[in-house]
Amino acid sequence: MRLAFTLFLLALAAFYTWTAFIDLAPLTANGRLGPGFFPRVIGVALVVTLLYSIVIDRRFGLTSGEESAYARDIVIFTGLLVLFVAALHVLGGLLAMVAFMYAALTIFNRRRHLQNILVSVLLPTGIFLLFNTWLNAGIPEGILAFL
Amino acid sequence: MELLSDLWLGMSVAVTPANLFFLFIGALVGIVVGVFPGLGPSAGIAILLPITFGMDRISAVVMLAAIYYAAMYGATLTSILLNVPGASAVVASTFDGYPLAKQGRAGPALVMQAAASFVGGTVGVILITLLAPVFSRVARSFGPPEFFMLVMMGLLALVVMVGANWRYGVISALLGFGLATVGVDLVTGAQRYTFGSAQLIGGIDFIPIAIGLFGIGELLYSLHIGVHRSASGVIAYRSEDRFWPTAVDWLESRWTFVRSSVLGFVVGIIPGAGATIASLMAYSVEKSVSKTPERFGKGAMQGLVAPETANNAASAGAMIPLLTLGIPGSASTAVLLGAFLLWGLRPGPLLMTQNPEFAWGLIASMYLGNMMLVALCIFAIPLFVAMLRVPYRILAPIVGVLAVIGTFTVNDSIVETWLMLVAGVVGYFMKRFGFSPAALVVALVLGPLAEDTLRQSLTISRGSFAIFYERPVSLTLGIVTIVLFVLMSFMRRFQRSAGTEPGEPGEDITPKSAV
Repeated sequence: MRLAFTLFLLALAAFYTWTAFIDLAPLTANGRLGPGFFPRVIGVALVVTLLYSIVIDRRFGLTSGEESAYARDIVIFTGLLVLFVAALHVLGGLLAMVAFMYAALTIFNRRRHLQNILVSVLLPTGIFLLFNTWLNAGIPEGILAFL
Repeated sequence: MELLSDLWLGMSVAVTPANLFFLFIGALVGIVVGVFPGLGPSAGIAILLPITFGMDRISAVVMLAAIYYAAMYGATLTSILLNVPGASAVVASTFDGYPLAKQGRAGPALVMQAAASFVGGTVGVILITLLAPVFSRVARSFGPPEFFMLVMMGLLALVVMVGANWRYGVISALLGFGLATVGVDLVTGAQRYTFGSAQLIGGIDFIPIAIGLFGIGELLYSLHIGVHRSASGVIAYRSEDRFWPTAVDWLESRWTFVRSSVLGFVVGIIPGAGATIASLMAYSVEKSVSKTPERFGKGAMQGLVAPETANNAASAGAMIPLLTLGIPGSASTAVLLGAFLLWGLRPGPLLMTQNPEFAWGLIASMYLGNMMLVALCIFAIPLFVAMLRVPYRILAPIVGVLAVIGTFTVNDSIVETWLMLVAGVVGYFMKRFGFSPAALVVALVLGPLAEDTLRQSLTISRGSFAIFYERPVSLTLGIVTIVLFVLMSFMRRFQRSAGTEPGEPGEDITPKSAV
């Protein structure tokens, strides 16, 4: 897993460096440092350090990283966050918050139905009032706008 | 006299009903942020930053700074009551704090930690008051080469100290620099890595990255280690226990307060070293000078007072390079710097002359903040003990909601919200594999400064890198960087030999185990 993450970073770094060399000039027309100088230095340094790191990690057997007994929970929680963000404009901020809270609490705080309902209604309402009313920040209304 | 008049100016700015109110809110929120595992000052400041956008800028900065130094007060509560350090900087507080609580002395331990935090924090602010103008005056003679060297010094110190090893620290910092190059190049007007997207022309904002890395990343890592599946823990506190420390406790600790304050402050000034190293060093020093070192680890009050005084003094010390040089030494101070910049305040040598009401208002607020905190920590103990009973499985969705809604409301941008989520997942893997989200954020914030000063330096020298060692101050900074590198490597070994895992610098949260 560690190796996969480092390879992912290496792919990003390679693309970053390639773009710096292809698209960005290192010097301006009057010989001063151009937009590509700094990205080239960073890109090359990043690729070299990542390659060196992969070699060292493999030499010392550091390619997997600590596993978690709760990987499923992490995936579920991340999935819920993705759905929450995707639902922001559709359901609106308030309903999306309530739905996310209730879903997360139902999964992680089992058999406490009343507590889950109260927390997932009261807390988002408080956050909505804080941002929308007190701070005048625009939380999406979503389907509530049609009511 | 000038110092007193500056401080008086600061007091007149800080002591307004609105600023006192937000100072109190910041102190309260900071303690709460410190109390809960999986949160930390970096995450707390980043997540709550959007809330400050409707406020006056001085009130906002006073509140955010209060969250920063108050978190250290709160983080110790779990060290004493649960044997779970709320942050890496309070790991040393568990050594004697928890044994004290187990002996039925939780009350005196909590009062002494509050007093130690107050002394460390206040001595730190006094030293800021005395030294910040001096640092500021010296830094006013700095040119682009000196600032470039300073940025390099700060980052080098950070990458040596944080993460699992220096390689991962360097990679994290380079990733931050890379992200900082996205957007329009202000010198030539060329677009870099925008790929035709209007959203990227202005560059990558640090708020979604900071909220993602520190908020969601820490949250997912807490799930990784199973904080959400564990019980709230046995809290070693009974209200009927004797509450106040004895005269012997105070007498035994009187010199510990002094030594640890000074040591903590000095270590705190060094970028990257921070409160964790300061607290461990203070503990070690106290144990070595004690006539009864065998009591350490078994409930010695000096063993609690030393790290608590030092980590709070170190938090104050870290404000010196932040305010006078604009160089953050840790993730939290990087987020604070980002907040200052958002509010149009550029910390650096000219801050104290160009924005004296802000700089001195902030310093004055830290005196008041420490007074509020000691009162809160002593008299609101039952409240925080009750908070400790809130399980992480309820807290986690709340943090998730605040992170998403907070990011969205900054610019009403769903793109930034997705970016925050991606940063959160990347932050989780970084944390899991020993990379340093702190170095990434510091580099992201300092990237434009590094690039600008490098360009200006090479323009002045007509392309010659000799400018970095031909100018006396620049050369001195280079030598200091090398000395620091050696010193940091030594400190790192010290940190390892003290038995703590390498975590984020200073005050960052590093939950060590499930409750």
